[in-house]
Amino acid sequence: MAGLAASPRARANHQLLAPGAIAGQSGATPGFRLVDVTNAAGIQFRHHSGAYGGKLLPETLGSGCAFLDYDADGWQDMLLINGMDWPQHKRQRTTLRLYRNNRDGTFSDVTRRAGLDVEMYGMGVAVGDYNNDGFPDILVTCVGQNRLFRNTGKGAFTDVTHSSGLDGRLAFSTSALWFDYDRDGLLDLFVCNYVKWSAEHDVFCSLDGKHKSYCTPEAYRGETCWLFHNRGDGTFEDVTAKCGIFDTSSKSLGVAMLDYDRDGWPDLLVANDTQPNKLYRNQRNGTFKDVAVEAGIAFSAEGKARAGMGVDAADFDHSGLPGVAITNFDNEMIGLYRPAANGTYNDVAVQAGVGLASQNTLGFGCAFLDANLDGALDLVVANGHIDDTVRNIRGNVGYAQPPQIFLNNGQGKFQDVAASTGDGFIQPKVGRGLCYADFDRDGDLDILMTTNNGPAYLYRNDQQTGNHSIRFRLTGTKSNRDAIGAMVRVEHEGSTQERLVKGGSSYLSQSELPVTFGLGKRDKIDRVTIEWPSGKPEEYKSLAAGQSYDCIEGKGITPQGHF
Amino acid sequence: MARSPQRSPTTALSLGLIITIAAVVAYSWYITLQISHLRELQNNLVEHNRRDSLQLLRVQNDLNSLGLAMRDMLDNDEPYPLTAWSAQFQRIRTDLDSALQAEAQLSIARRTPEQTQYLKDSLAQFWDAADRTFALAQAGKDAEAREQIRLSLQARQSTLNTAVSRLLVQNNESEQQASTQVAQIYDRVQSQVYRFLTATLTAILLTSLYLIRANRQLFARIEALSQQRSELAQKLISSQESMLRSISRELHDEFGQILTAIGSLLTRSEKRIPEGSALHTDLREVRDIAQSTLNNVRSLSQALHPVMLDETGLESTMDWYIPTVEKQTGIDISYQKSGVPFALDGGAAIHIYRVLQEALNNVARHSGAREAQVRLQFSAEALDLEVEDHGKGGVALAARSGIGLVAMRERAELLRGTLEFSQPAEGGTLVHMRVPREGNEANAG
Repeated sequence: MAGLAASPRARANHQLLAPGAIAGQSGATPGFRLVDVTNAAGIQFRHHSGAYGGKLLPETLGSGCAFLDYDADGWQDMLLINGMDWPQHKRQRTTLRLYRNNRDGTFSDVTRRAGLDVEMYGMGVAVGDYNNDGFPDILVTCVGQNRLFRNTGKGAFTDVTHSSGLDGRLAFSTSALWFDYDRDGLLDLFVCNYVKWSAEHDVFCSLDGKHKSYCTPEAYRGETCWLFHNRGDGTFEDVTAKCGIFDTSSKSLGVAMLDYDRDGWPDLLVANDTQPNKLYRNQRNGTFKDVAVEAGIAFSAEGKARAGMGVDAADFDHSGLPGVAITNFDNEMIGLYRPAANGTYNDVAVQAGVGLASQNTLGFGCAFLDANLDGALDLVVANGHIDDTVRNIRGNVGYAQPPQIFLNNGQGKFQDVAASTGDGFIQPKVGRGLCYADFDRDGDLDILMTTNNGPAYLYRNDQQTGNHSIRFRLTGTKSNRDAIGAMVRVEHEGSTQERLVKGGSSYLSQSELPVTFGLGKRDKIDRVTIEWPSGKPEEYKSLAAGQSYDCIEGKGITPQGHF
Repeated sequence: MARSPQRSPTTALSLGLIITIAAVVAYSWYITLQISHLRELQNNLVEHNRRDSLQLLRVQNDLNSLGLAMRDMLDNDEPYPLTAWSAQFQRIRTDLDSALQAEAQLSIARRTPEQTQYLKDSLAQFWDAADRTFALAQAGKDAEAREQIRLSLQARQSTLNTAVSRLLVQNNESEQQASTQVAQIYDRVQSQVYRFLTATLTAILLTSLYLIRANRQLFARIEALSQQRSELAQKLISSQESMLRSISRELHDEFGQILTAIGSLLTRSEKRIPEGSALHTDLREVRDIAQSTLNNVRSLSQALHPVMLDETGLESTMDWYIPTVEKQTGIDISYQKSGVPFALDGGAAIHIYRVLQEALNNVARHSGAREAQVRLQFSAEALDLEVEDHGKGGVALAARSGIGLVAMRERAELLRGTLEFSQPAEGGTLVHMRVPREGNEANAG
């Protein structure tokens, strides 16, 4: 744990916010509303699982979503992944959907124009500019062959799965993320795989002995995750075995990037379903070591491997170290892990008020974000069961479940305020993917959620307390162009907040790459420090709040207008 | 009336209370002891056992993971060399070592040295075989490595699995024994609870019965005493009235006649003596004294028992008495009479008169009022007498110290009537006596 030597220093810089220092932080009113603008924005997406009665395992898992700026116009666009009919049961044609931001609160479906109207049984998505051309590329994970689409920079994508060397691998892939694990300035690709499954070898599981039901993952063998190293010539090398992440027991659904030991090298946390979670610590030599058991994050406090679904990591307690949230099955509670200085984690879900509130929910997508811009990271969770008959077995658990927003009071306690954010958000749904972005550029974070075999929902965040924020969009030059892996620290009046620029996280989804800091009523920050993946730190002082800034590695910072 | 000596229930009740408290304390002590025993058993055995079993399950899970990994290695359907599994084996090895170390701490008391050694040796042999397998794989001898897995690794993994399963069974058996002990403790406590409840309920029942009996006796005594007191009071009143009537009559008849005769004799003597002589003057003075004494005797006789009460009835007596009181006390008394009067029995009239007398006495003595009202109302069912003043009030309270109030009540009760004291809205005291017509009307029936 040599890398953890840096943590006391980091910790010292991260004083906890004084109680009441942040405006709009109260237990009763969340200080914002989430308005369902799906229809108003022109989003008419409906996920199709292909379910025809065969009860095939992938039908339960839904699909992901992503915010990306595919045309590099500074406005976040939207990508919604979709499934399709099973080969022997073709009824309709369904594809993923790419929605272009019209910059007026509405979106246009540009899927066909972008060349993405390709049928595939899509699951998750990872967005990253792997060729550093300034335009984000897309990896869609699938049941079957994953697809890599290179952005041409002209509003269209080209399927480069074959030429990139990613073809020839059939699997049940789930979440994925782009990150530069060897810090060579090129984004590498990490892909989670769930279990060894194919429609031909689907196992007959039944609750009543007569009718087929969806199997739990125990019925299938695990599958290793994959790590592909970016050679820089448009091709990738499979370094799964070489880097030490090969593990055939894993049944992975979610992956989050974090700097667990604060050594500047990206680590990975993989949420496994019914198998121990994995915390792959980057050993700075191209290899990883799983330290999840030592860190106390592999199992629940009772020593049980839970059904990990979605995962996110962020410094939610201002400790200077990343905390972790992992959504689990109903009756297992969300795992909310607070970091300790010795490199271990403590599950504080119950003490923090998240545990009991998630006792009867099955969580999928999850994300730490400052929903009310008060300076403390809140936790948003998409819920929904996998079994549509669960109500018959567990009366207090439904198939459709309300999503949750756990508001962080800045003092270690969270409270679900979803019911106070408006009528739309709290409606029960079979939630799966979840991501966020400031799509309307008003300085707060809006939420996109997918549901299984149902519509996607776009919730616009409307602030009510007048809290301010500041946003940074980073562009790497020596580092990878997306600046994934850059650590942004904002200091104001003695307190520090930090955000890691990252892909992945949540479940099958990816949020926007620009980072947002809530500042309460403050109208400026004292300082922002950016630690680029290349290792070079940059610092800018006295920046006004209520603005977005473009930071180009080595070239300074430019304000991009007020919110 | 003979009074049987009554024993106070306090002693018996105090004894019962002491016994109950002692029983509760003893029972609490017993329960505390049992709970402590239970806690000790659960902490030392059940909890210890549970934690040990959890570690054994962790070991078993690791062994199964190794089994699955070996199966994958033999399946040869991954696009990776056998050496790729090395990290997976290493991870499992780390966890297995940690689990076995934790398990060894928890199982010290129950594990034989032979069992511990066997487990240790089996594991060492497994990892030796695993190291040899990966060495072969590293050297590119995949076929030999797979052969090693089939022949050696899988067999050793199976042996380890069996050993761990046996330990789990052993733990289950200990847990069952502990569960039996726990169940026995629960049974004992449950049986004691029933006994205690039965004893407590019996004690409560007996105490209640005893209390009911004691209360009944107490109330009977109070009733008897009340009856005796009432009878005594009535006798006293009757005797007092009889005596007063007798004295009154003696005064009126005997002394009145004598003084009248003396007065006549003096008048005659006076006439025989010339006017203006000293003797005439002396005789006149003596005659005046005799006349004055006669008046006083008549007044006293009237006060002790108004003769007119027997002769002309209550109303006339009140018509005479109230102005007399006004004169004597200087209190302005307004007297109202209403309804159709009916004649009262002589005994009843004297009691009503006495109540009026006592009420007006109280007004004069305690109220400080300069005015009072007396109302006498006849109705078809009853006679109501009210004496009201607007003085400082609390007359009934002030009068309570004397026997007047008791006597008033007794007189009312003698007539089967009621007597009430109240405070009018204007303040002061209102005495209301109600005497039923039936039984008190003269010549009734």
